[in-house]
Amino acid sequence: MPLTLKDFQKIKNFSVEVKKNILEMAFAAGASSSHFGGALSIVEIISVLYSHKMKIDKSDPNSADRDRFILSKGHACLAYYAALCEVGFIKKKELKTFEKDDSNLLGHPVVNRKLGIDFSNGSLGMGLSLGIGVATAIKKNKKNNNVFVVLGDGECNEGSVWEAAMAAPNLNLENLYAIIDNNNFQQTGSNEEIMNTNSLFEKWASFGWHTIEVDGHDIEKFYKVIEDVSKSSKPKAIIAKTIKGKGFSFSENNNEWHHAVLSKSLYEKAKKELYSL
Amino acid sequence: MIINERNIKIWSTIGSRATFGIAVLELAKEIDNLMVLTCDVSTSAGLDRYRKFYPDKYIDLGIAEQNLIGVAAGLSSEGFNVVTTTFAPFQAIRCCEQIKVNIGYMGQKICMVGIASGLALGNLGYTHCCIEDVGILRTIPGITIISPSDSLETVKALEASVKSDKSIYIRLTGSSNNPIVNHKDYSFEIGKSIELRDGKDITIFCAGAMVYNCLEAAKKLDEKNISCSVVNMHTIKPIDKDAIKKACEKSNMIVSVEEHNIIGGLGSAISEYKATINNSPKQLTIGINDNYSKGGSYKFLQEKHGLTSDKIVESVLKNLN
Amino acid sequence: MDNKEQYKKIFIESLSIEPESFNENIKYNEIPEWDSIGHMTLMSGLEEGFKIAMETDDIVEFDSYKTGIEILKKYKVF
Repeated sequence: MPLTLKDFQKIKNFSVEVKKNILEMAFAAGASSSHFGGALSIVEIISVLYSHKMKIDKSDPNSADRDRFILSKGHACLAYYAALCEVGFIKKKELKTFEKDDSNLLGHPVVNRKLGIDFSNGSLGMGLSLGIGVATAIKKNKKNNNVFVVLGDGECNEGSVWEAAMAAPNLNLENLYAIIDNNNFQQTGSNEEIMNTNSLFEKWASFGWHTIEVDGHDIEKFYKVIEDVSKSSKPKAIIAKTIKGKGFSFSENNNEWHHAVLSKSLYEKAKKELYSL
Repeated sequence: MIINERNIKIWSTIGSRATFGIAVLELAKEIDNLMVLTCDVSTSAGLDRYRKFYPDKYIDLGIAEQNLIGVAAGLSSEGFNVVTTTFAPFQAIRCCEQIKVNIGYMGQKICMVGIASGLALGNLGYTHCCIEDVGILRTIPGITIISPSDSLETVKALEASVKSDKSIYIRLTGSSNNPIVNHKDYSFEIGKSIELRDGKDITIFCAGAMVYNCLEAAKKLDEKNISCSVVNMHTIKPIDKDAIKKACEKSNMIVSVEEHNIIGGLGSAISEYKATINNSPKQLTIGINDNYSKGGSYKFLQEKHGLTSDKIVESVLKNLN
Repeated sequence: MDNKEQYKKIFIESLSIEPESFNENIKYNEIPEWDSIGHMTLMSGLEEGFKIAMETDDIVEFDSYKTGIEILKKYKVF
């Protein structure tokens, strides 16, 4: 079923709030800087999932019936914490503690089930394996929840990603979704410059995943794809074409924003751009 | 499991790996949420029968150890009681970072069983030996390390580990015809060493297949009027500090014997604590001297690295003041 | 009990077969009880029962009740 206008607006509003939260946290991080660019490229993805698609119990982050989310590209946690805040699991004032001493919210997620952070991530290449374990457990427990794992395209350099990619179809995990944030950049350059992954689509498809490409910033299209692929009996690989740093004029497609300091002036500029939406 | 003389003999003949296979089969009968995960080593780990009887409690992830640990952690996070196993170098080292992140850091409980650790597969070369696992895993917070002295202790260690709420690495050493150290049933407690022999001159701490060699060495030293205590330090982490303290109080020399690099393993763990004790006696650390020798049979390599009972005796005599 | 009877007894006990389902045509891997673990248990039982130590080649080639009889002749059991 396509999105109603009401639902579309709900997701759109959610995504704007997520961006606002990202901005606040990035600014609060100050000189510690933050992984701004890679968080912005997944805003719409995480908004569709957390505000609409995923089965969540807002009163219980540990509900046995919840869909699961794993941020394998853990450095995009600004978007993750922002979304968890909008859902109500993390308080706005806790967002301000981002990367501070003793904080629950570090530069990579640290497991904290009270806050809805299900796993510790950050060392790339590990999240999909976790997803396989969780998806397998869900099926063994005869539940029909889904597991959504967000990976980076640079992350697909890691061999462990392909160990998991090979295993999932063999284990018949139709409830497992791998969403690859294909923003074409990694830490020190473009994918093409550093380690060209060539066709991610062909790779995932050849491993036996139901594979599809989509514009990762188009809420309607992304939602439609997620709904359409759910019919497949294979695990799903959704290659989301995205822009690193999407949403602000200074950061879009600018790899300086992989990990950078958001100065006061840029913060003010970003606020103007965002609030004028 | 029925622990009687007949079974102890059978388990000794078939070795610790096959014994592990039998033990996990028995555990699956009582533990509903048990899951055993391997990397294409079912036969080597004695699991052929297990996977026939309990296909729903078994997953073979192929030769992909990093994935193994992640999948195990995912299952554990959802309430399953998970045992992973493959050859020790691949179990402990190939996926070391996954162990750090998933087990140490995130705290997902998993029982890892490293088979054929030490020098048992020396004729295949050091890629299939493991003399580093204890040292490497000791530095990851949150992992208990157990090295069973014989096949019966393998059964006891596995049972204790599966029933514990901690993550544990079980290091299986020895080959088939694994000598018997424990001739009858006994009380096994994780973290509590077992004094197998009492003596007043020196204390020999050992673990794994070396325990038998140390008991033989102690007999020979006795004939030379050197009275030895032999302590089975099956749990290397957390180490039994009381046992070390007691040994320092009563012995003229502490000896540690391990089928492992002398750097980082049992000997190092003992000396780390011993260093805090005032006026403690000298420690003789017997093990592999930080090198990869040429390969060969298990017996050949034990000789080469000074781990046979005769070589242990020689080393002790040389170092006793 | 003569050695033939003891041989049969060791088979039944080591492999944990029901005495009624035993027959002299049993072969390795053709009955569920005689898998790799069963085989090692059987070899252990035979060595213990007849006070012999078998060579590796013989252990590997011992693939049926009948072949076993031929192999054990080497060890003067039969």
